[in-house]
Amino acid sequence: MKQLGLMIDMDLCIGCKTCIVACRNYHGLVDHDRAMPGEIPFYLRVESKREGSYPMISANHWVIPCQHCKKAKCIEACPSGAIIKDEQTGIVRIDQEKCTGEKKCIEACLWDVIQFNEAGGFAHKCNLCYDRVVFGEMPVCAEVCMTNAITFGELQMLKQKAKTEGREIDRKMSPMSVIYLKPTPKNTLASP
Amino acid sequence: MKHDNWIPTACYQCKAECAILARVGDGKVKEIRGNPAGHGKACVKGMAGISLEYNPDRITKPLKRVGERGEGKFEPVSWDEALDIIADKLGELRDNGEEHKLTASFFPHSITDPKWRFLNAYGGFINTALPHCDSAKIVAFIKAMGGVPNHHIPPAWFTVPPGGIMIMAGRHAFGGLDDAAVPRDILEARKRGAKLVVLDPFFNEDAARADWWIPIRPSGDTALFLGMINHIIAKEIYDKDFVENWIREGDFDKLKEYIKDKTPEAMSAICDVPAADIKKLAEMCAEAPSVGVDSFKGIMLGQALDFGHAWTIFLSITGNIDNPGGQPMPDVTPLSPVEPVPAGANLAEKGFHVTGPDKEKFSKYSFIMEPTWYQAQAIKNGGLKVLINSEANPALTEMGQDEWRKAVTMKENGEYKLELLVSYEIMLSDTSKYADLVLPDKTYFERWELLYMPWWYNFGQGVLLRQPVVEAPGECRHSNEVFIELGKRLCPEYFAFKDDVEFYDIQLAGLGLSVAKLQEMGGMWSPGTIGFRKYKDAGGFGTPSKKIHLYWEDLEDVAQAMPRPGLAAEYEIDEDTYPFILVSYRSIFHQGTGQWSHNNPQLRDPVSGLYENPALINSAAATKLGINDGDKITIASRTGEIKATAKLTERIRPDCIGLHHGFGSSIGRVAATGEGVSDNALIPDSGQTLDWQDLVGGESHVSTRVRIQS
Repeated sequence: MKQLGLMIDMDLCIGCKTCIVACRNYHGLVDHDRAMPGEIPFYLRVESKREGSYPMISANHWVIPCQHCKKAKCIEACPSGAIIKDEQTGIVRIDQEKCTGEKKCIEACLWDVIQFNEAGGFAHKCNLCYDRVVFGEMPVCAEVCMTNAITFGELQMLKQKAKTEGREIDRKMSPMSVIYLKPTPKNTLASP
Repeated sequence: MKHDNWIPTACYQCKAECAILARVGDGKVKEIRGNPAGHGKACVKGMAGISLEYNPDRITKPLKRVGERGEGKFEPVSWDEALDIIADKLGELRDNGEEHKLTASFFPHSITDPKWRFLNAYGGFINTALPHCDSAKIVAFIKAMGGVPNHHIPPAWFTVPPGGIMIMAGRHAFGGLDDAAVPRDILEARKRGAKLVVLDPFFNEDAARADWWIPIRPSGDTALFLGMINHIIAKEIYDKDFVENWIREGDFDKLKEYIKDKTPEAMSAICDVPAADIKKLAEMCAEAPSVGVDSFKGIMLGQALDFGHAWTIFLSITGNIDNPGGQPMPDVTPLSPVEPVPAGANLAEKGFHVTGPDKEKFSKYSFIMEPTWYQAQAIKNGGLKVLINSEANPALTEMGQDEWRKAVTMKENGEYKLELLVSYEIMLSDTSKYADLVLPDKTYFERWELLYMPWWYNFGQGVLLRQPVVEAPGECRHSNEVFIELGKRLCPEYFAFKDDVEFYDIQLAGLGLSVAKLQEMGGMWSPGTIGFRKYKDAGGFGTPSKKIHLYWEDLEDVAQAMPRPGLAAEYEIDEDTYPFILVSYRSIFHQGTGQWSHNNPQLRDPVSGLYENPALINSAAATKLGINDGDKITIASRTGEIKATAKLTERIRPDCIGLHHGFGSSIGRVAATGEGVSDNALIPDSGQTLDWQDLVGGESHVSTRVRIQS
């Protein structure tokens, strides 16, 4: 199977959200005349998990882009055939011209990563920077990540890389084309 | 789509000023990247610079106040009229022999920033507009090691060997105020086997990635380091070669005598870190191939000069000066001077801190600039008559902000005591509401600037060119251009060059370069060499003895010849009435951005930034007080009170309240939506609490004791 993907290293992600803003800049998602907090579209989001109680606590972050699912629910749900899984790359893409704006894909998506453009009446989302990667460039998020926590590549090769480096993939979080590496233990020098 | 038009320049979303590339299309900035010729990274603030550039709140015409200061009512005015007002007032001040009563608040981007040149030529003073700055660290390092003042120079984390120790003492290094590559370099060093140790009352992002989080009591860092020094000396695990060869004769004996009773047990009682942990960290550091410490002023909360002193002693006796992974020594790029070089007014004779009623208290002051935090007092004293702000926002960033606001609106015989207040602004700020003139500044995408200060992350990155990549809107003019014009009017002998570019050309001749040549070569002069243990080649350090001075005899009479272990005064005073300590913390979204990021929709967006700053309270402490998550609470100090939303968390010491610094702006489209409170409303005005301040190192304390009122 041909499938491009991303590998997110939860050891390295510091939740800085640089990728989100760089992604918006590249994809032209910000209307500078009107942009207000809480109203700006986004293709990536950062989630965090904090565990433990003071002073033995941990915090980890990870980024959630479109997971470019193997059998994407959005494709099944779309009444206009506007969403396809690209054969060459495995990227799930929305054709804005074909989209009739019924938002079925948004309801169907398990990852809550599809945005809706009210003015244009179309759904849009992360396309793994299709128009960059087919010309040999990385997706913007992988290129700009401050800590190099995001690695881009062919999914099988990403999995091989994780294995080579002795890192454990969080299976539960990684059923599709974006895989997450479990964080290694921290605060190990603290007295219990 | 493949894009080619990437222009190398320098970010200025915060004081780190990273080397970036800006992609321009259709005459607009479209994207930002870290410049691979530099460290290759830009942070979220840098990426969101485009939302600053195209912010609809930008002002594009000079404005003149109508109505009273503080009302924020303006009318447009021509540049000619604005410049005449300033030049006339400065002429009048000079005619009265009061040039020294001009102060300009700005962040100097280079040693010969044209604004600074103007002040030196005219006879006024600079303060940095950064009350949270690390002047005491600079003073401590100069006193101990000599040489050029090093500003916030963190260890070069990319040089840390496997097994090295990286200590963040309240630094918030992942909060992005050094090069954007710092988090990557720290995490890569960790991968190589270096250990990350974070000393902080607040579990920040650095702590989340650390091998050891030590939740120290605020201001306890000096005690912790003294406890480690005691243990290292007692166990004789110090670097004997370095101590013997590079520490001034007699100083180590004085240290041994002084440190005898600063045992880990005794210091533990002050810093609230178990003695066993102090010993463990001390032994780890003594055995490690390198130790690098990064901090601003202790944990941004304590006795800064004492901490800087303890820190220097610690690095010296463990041999971590100018070694890979340790404390680098800065170098200055050999640029040419612009003749004639103005001498500048004598700060020790004419500075506003030494011409007012508190002059005796400042007798040991040794920083090179006016203490920003004494501004309000200086206005009241009549020692400050003209204040020009640029890239500064004292109405919000000044400790005891209300006292600053009071001072600038204070009148005598119907006239403002501060006779002229000018503010250069990209967008209106809380400070501009008080200004007589608001001048529309250019952003960092629209101006020339030559950056060279000995504070960059890699000293080999000696000179960085900021160049205009797009046109400025309306009538915007960069503050440097305006100061050069004022210079041509008021002190023409020092401003014989044509413009800013020619000014930089003269300096670049020292490197055989010009602005055009530097531009052609990618905008950066960066040989990439740090040079380790340079003191060996130089025949010693820059101190009079050529050795490191651990003992500061000039401070004997103020009992600071050796670092004092105690907590800063404000943590002991009021302890009964105000049981919590306010911790001003930072995040990458709003650190070091002055007034800009709070009207940046992307940096306030909950998805890509931080919208509000709730009061962080340890869950157990909150439960004892009956406070629930989301409750509206009042936080009070002896200075003021604020209303905030309580956020219960495990991430903070039970005796602290965490408040993200820098919120509370009231002006601008985004800020006007309301959320966010200013910690400076709680912190006392430093001019009125001089006994609490560091009057030697020039630091003002930036925290206070608070209580929660339901």
